[in-house]
Amino acid sequence: MTTIKSPLSFAILGKCGSSKARVGKITLPHGPVDTPVFMPVGTQGTLKGMLPEQLKAMGVQILLANTYHLGTRPGVDILLKAGGLHKFMNWDGNLLTDSGGFQMVSLLKLAEITEQGVKFESLNEQKDQVMLSPEHSIEIQNAIGADIIMQLDDVVKTTVPDKERIEESVHRTTRWLDRCIKVHQNPSTQNIFPIVQGTLYQDLRKISIADHIKRDVNGFAIGGLSGGESKDDFWKIVHLCTDLLPKNKPIYLMGVGFATDLVVCSALGVDMFDCVFPTRTARFGCALTMVGQINLKKKQYATDLQPIDKDCDCSTCKNYTRAYLHGIVTDLPVACHLITVHNVVFQLRLMKTIRDSILNGTFVEFVQQFMLAIHPDRDYPTWIKDSLTAVNIPLL
Amino acid sequence: MKFNVKTVLQRSPRLGELSQIAGKLDVCLETPLALLHTQAGHIPHITHEVLKLVTQEPHFLQIPVVSMHNYLEAIHLYDGRVADFVGSKDSLTCVTLNDPSNLMKQGHHNKDKVPIFTKRGKVLYDSENYMDMVEKLRPDMYIILSDGDTNMTSSNKRVSKAVENTVSFNQRCIERHKKSEKLKDAFVIAPIAGGYCVKSRKQCLELLSPNEPDVQGYLIDGLHNNGPEVELISFSEVKPIVDYVISKLPPGKLRAIQGCWSPLNIIKLVNSGIDIFDTSYCRILTERSAALTFAIDAGEASESYEINLRHGKFSEDFQPVLKECKCVACQGYSRAYIHHLLTVQELLGSVLIMVHNIHHMLRFFQKIRDSVREDKLNELEDRVAAQIKLLHCHKEQLASSELSRNSTE
Ligand SMILES: [Zn+2]
Ligand SMILES: [Zn+2]
Repeated sequence: MTTIKSPLSFAILGKCGSSKARVGKITLPHGPVDTPVFMPVGTQGTLKGMLPEQLKAMGVQILLANTYHLGTRPGVDILLKAGGLHKFMNWDGNLLTDSGGFQMVSLLKLAEITEQGVKFESLNEQKDQVMLSPEHSIEIQNAIGADIIMQLDDVVKTTVPDKERIEESVHRTTRWLDRCIKVHQNPSTQNIFPIVQGTLYQDLRKISIADHIKRDVNGFAIGGLSGGESKDDFWKIVHLCTDLLPKNKPIYLMGVGFATDLVVCSALGVDMFDCVFPTRTARFGCALTMVGQINLKKKQYATDLQPIDKDCDCSTCKNYTRAYLHGIVTDLPVACHLITVHNVVFQLRLMKTIRDSILNGTFVEFVQQFMLAIHPDRDYPTWIKDSLTAVNIPLL
Repeated sequence: MKFNVKTVLQRSPRLGELSQIAGKLDVCLETPLALLHTQAGHIPHITHEVLKLVTQEPHFLQIPVVSMHNYLEAIHLYDGRVADFVGSKDSLTCVTLNDPSNLMKQGHHNKDKVPIFTKRGKVLYDSENYMDMVEKLRPDMYIILSDGDTNMTSSNKRVSKAVENTVSFNQRCIERHKKSEKLKDAFVIAPIAGGYCVKSRKQCLELLSPNEPDVQGYLIDGLHNNGPEVELISFSEVKPIVDYVISKLPPGKLRAIQGCWSPLNIIKLVNSGIDIFDTSYCRILTERSAALTFAIDAGEASESYEINLRHGKFSEDFQPVLKECKCVACQGYSRAYIHHLLTVQELLGSVLIMVHNIHHMLRFFQKIRDSVREDKLNELEDRVAAQIKLLHCHKEQLASSELSRNSTE
């Protein structure tokens, strides 16, 4: 009997005594990933001017890239000839690709979803009708060659009230999952993750999970959130999903990456996160700190000779003042590079702090202090209070 | 900082060295040398952290005042040198007024003042506020304020006005310099104005000569108005002026020139005896998506003088920009990848091209120094000239094939 060596193993290294937070190590074809992890987004096979050498030095273990963009340019043909995206972009760490469905529904107004797939008008001059089917999405993702790939899912905006439509999307997403698994060419080197759908309906989420966990997969994604729903609805769905999904496989919450959300959702038991915000915002001069963001374009920083964050040990905080960055921000491309370095290191540091505090048994204290620093008047938003109370973390 | 000529003084392509640099006594830089052209202290597209991956040699940054003017308030409060302020404390710095990669706006003159155009508009500099700025920046080297607004087409009146202003700035700046405790270690370079008029150049040199003891080097200024056009200047136009000025300069002093000179003209200028240049040419190349690929060493394989990576023919070309290049860009990235980055307008495209261009330019200058040492500069010149000739032939062929295609349509 021959068994295919699994391209993913997941070891849980420690758990929080109170909440559902946990520390794990995912081992993938391009090395280990310490969880909970934040994955920076390199949409087009590059991350805001950073050399992969720099990302490696910062400690980035996994990057996200977008299937829709890469399938358009450079396209499957060139990706195959290049030997996959890792080689093309000179990144020997891990990669994860989305399915392209979400991008299409959110970027293209004219996308139409049928049982066959997502039909849309191409961006090319001929305005051809193009179909992104589950099979085609996997074909592109196989060409890209990411270590973790996503099934094509039937995305419904969380703000859509039509329950019938959402129920259809739950079942269709499972049917599409089977089609994706069936055509997947590289099961020994690429892991396919199903996406749990059902927007804000708990009963539909339960159905979606019950169906997905019957499939032979190495991890799960929670989709259909972070789309404009209220935070009070959001956390309850995350909480439900992490309760119902198997504990021995990594759980990826798609499109979530603000500092507060990372802390809360780690407490709820999520292992993987991604978000374009920390890198996209750098271009506009926005730098992240533990107590919120600062916009370096503001006049007040013109004479501010401190680093962005005196506790940060990134090369930008070690070598440059806010005043210096203020003078070049949105003017010279290097300003974007310098702030991106800080923002990526910030996200990595936050995740490391979360992991370390879980391992040494101080996660509850960390969460309490983190929230207090942002809300010194203790006027905590309801959703933060409720979600953390649900996992036995009382706020100070 | 001291400058010493290492070759026989009378020989024109010459080797020299900059040493005894205050605070950096272990550093010794050999000339002919390219200062690293920067904007606000950064080579365009390259952070200092990335620059360390490109070259381990000591960095000598050229810092235009025009790119620092908006920091006036911050620098006033800052207790440190410009190298620290721009985030590169180990680098050497040379302050100059204008950015050689940008075309200067002509005109807008006021008596005893020079206009510069910052991102927030026109600002006038005179000897006083210029020296205030230099004192705050505390560079290792600086160029005295000058009126460099002349070119091949300037009127006699403009040329003599430029000489008059430059001499007056020189006088006042040197008075300030002599009184300045903060600038006592700074290396002073005096610009020589006079456009393309030998008589005016002579006059400028004579009027500046009394200050010679306080000056360690000279800049041949006023040959152009900066920007991409400098690449196209024919050497025969500037040669008479360059040769004349150099013949009149004290041989022990450093000789500088600024601007986006083509590599072939750089060799010719070295041949005439110029010691210091800058890398602004790399910026104009990178902005047009071009990477330098001319062969520097004998026997080095090269298919062309430069390549434009935006061109569709590179979309499936998985070779590095230049096969034998050891730069970070050529070691890990293909032409196809850079082409992809340019097509989707991602920042890393320009980063990789600039990394390669700077690396190529620094290697080119190393070759120039070696060639002068071995008395083989002519060989290098012939090699580069032959490749440029090929480039021109190729361009003409393209143009004529374009023409014939158009005529058949
Ligand atoms: Zn930082
Ligand atoms: Zn190279």
